[in-house]
Amino acid sequence: MEIDRDEARRVAALAHLEFDDPALDRMASEMTTILTYIDQLREVDVQGFEERNATVTPFRDDEPHRSADRELVASNAPAWRDGLFVVPKVIGGE
Amino acid sequence: MSELLELPWTEAREQVSPREYVDACLRAIDANASLNTFLHVNREPAVGALPIALKDNIVTTDMPSTCGSRILGTFHSPFDATVVTRLRARGASLLGKTNMDEFAMGSSNEHSAFGPARNPWDPTLVPGGSSGGSAAAVAARLVPVALGSETGGSVRQPAALCGVVGLKPTYGRVSRSGLVAFASSLDQIGIVTKTVRDCAEVLGIIAGHDPLDSTSSTTPVDDYTADLGAGVKGLRFGLVKEALDRLAGEVRTNFDDAVDVLRGGGATIEEVSIPTIGYAIAVYYIVANAEASANLSRFDGIRYGHRSTRARTLDEVYFDSRGEGFGPEVKRRIMLGTFALSSGYYDAYYGRAQRVRAKLRHELTSAFASVDYLITPTTPEPAFPIGAKSDDPLSMYLSDIFTAPANLVGIPAIAVPSGFSTAGLPLSLQIMGPHFAERALFRAAEFFENETGYWRRSPAVH
Repeated sequence: MEIDRDEARRVAALAHLEFDDPALDRMASEMTTILTYIDQLREVDVQGFEERNATVTPFRDDEPHRSADRELVASNAPAWRDGLFVVPKVIGGE
Repeated sequence: MSELLELPWTEAREQVSPREYVDACLRAIDANASLNTFLHVNREPAVGALPIALKDNIVTTDMPSTCGSRILGTFHSPFDATVVTRLRARGASLLGKTNMDEFAMGSSNEHSAFGPARNPWDPTLVPGGSSGGSAAAVAARLVPVALGSETGGSVRQPAALCGVVGLKPTYGRVSRSGLVAFASSLDQIGIVTKTVRDCAEVLGIIAGHDPLDSTSSTTPVDDYTADLGAGVKGLRFGLVKEALDRLAGEVRTNFDDAVDVLRGGGATIEEVSIPTIGYAIAVYYIVANAEASANLSRFDGIRYGHRSTRARTLDEVYFDSRGEGFGPEVKRRIMLGTFALSSGYYDAYYGRAQRVRAKLRHELTSAFASVDYLITPTTPEPAFPIGAKSDDPLSMYLSDIFTAPANLVGIPAIAVPSGFSTAGLPLSLQIMGPHFAERALFRAAEFFENETGYWRRSPAVH
């Protein structure tokens, strides 16, 4: 699988990662090498084998539990005010 | 070096007070700071009879947790991992957090944001990864026991390169609550020790169902030391034919010698074919990276960890914080995983990898109908120089070729020292068993350990 700069840029946007053009080219070339190796999976006969794992992770009962202490959460927050995480303006910003 | 620290934990704890034991470990840690095995040392731990180090992706309230990354900043967990709760309840002394490849992504420790841990057998070599700090710390006799985590071999591979015992338990055997997620269908907490008995005892402490981890199993916890000393007479070992075909040189000779040791103990040996095993790395790098790309989306600079000071808009908070916080290998894997899940490629990559994985699961579990164990070398080669594979991600990935199958299938596997190369570097035997067969793994591994005694040799450190 050949990954070019535009494809790498598309994937980077989905992944919320930013690269300058030289880094994007390097990433595209590394992805091409690795995906070319992975392409050997095409030769495996997978007839009769399903994508989904038969074992299902059980859900716990839908009952309230204690969650993390608010002060400890606040102490890890990059920006916090009045019990809320602060982020840049989303609507009507610069 | 203190002779005390040469002993297995289960012997040393009988000989000295917990205080003396903990102090000896702390002195050894300080004397060997140049190995860079610890990212944080707990200088005043609660004193107990089990001095232990934790990989830095296992969270504790009283120490930072960086995952070997800059993106977590000064993060302090508001809660303890369940394994930590269990260890504290048994009087463990948590001596610190060990170095690791960033977010457990790597096989050499070179992807740590804080510089690589070094191999105590030769500090110019890698200790393996991603639990390289844990393996190097046990090998250098700084601590008797360390926890690591496994996604594709991240406990067994460094244990092999450092000449110590490394266990990956069955998927779901040990709670992952408080283990920072990498690839959730593969991750499992593992154990590094000098001897098999130490490993079995520690598994007894940390194993068991946990309501905080819905993937943890309700299968009863076994008595893991019950079969130690029972030998291997009459047990059936399968040699994976497709793995044998890849072996060469000293690793091949060493593996043949290991097989002779088992045969000498009365085990039966037969070749077993697992045709799909050669595809395990290709499957792994799709499945693991796809899951990682989702799990690591939580590191966005909003609720904890690093937030870029450059960011002026919400999008910039995401892009700049992640851009500054993640290292190159993590970005590479997020990119590959995002690609494999993206529209138009999902079926061809993720879907196909999962189907090949199902086939591998079928082949491996079927093999256990005719043999009790499957064995391979743990790694295709001994420890390599720092820098040797840095520019070639694919060749680094192939370090996990023998270990990744057990993660993809969820079975337990143990790495046990099997001797030394002519250059004096540790080599290792991997023993895999069926789901929840840890007790049987310990039985075989301990027999091998007793017959060979390689664990007694330790590197020359301070």
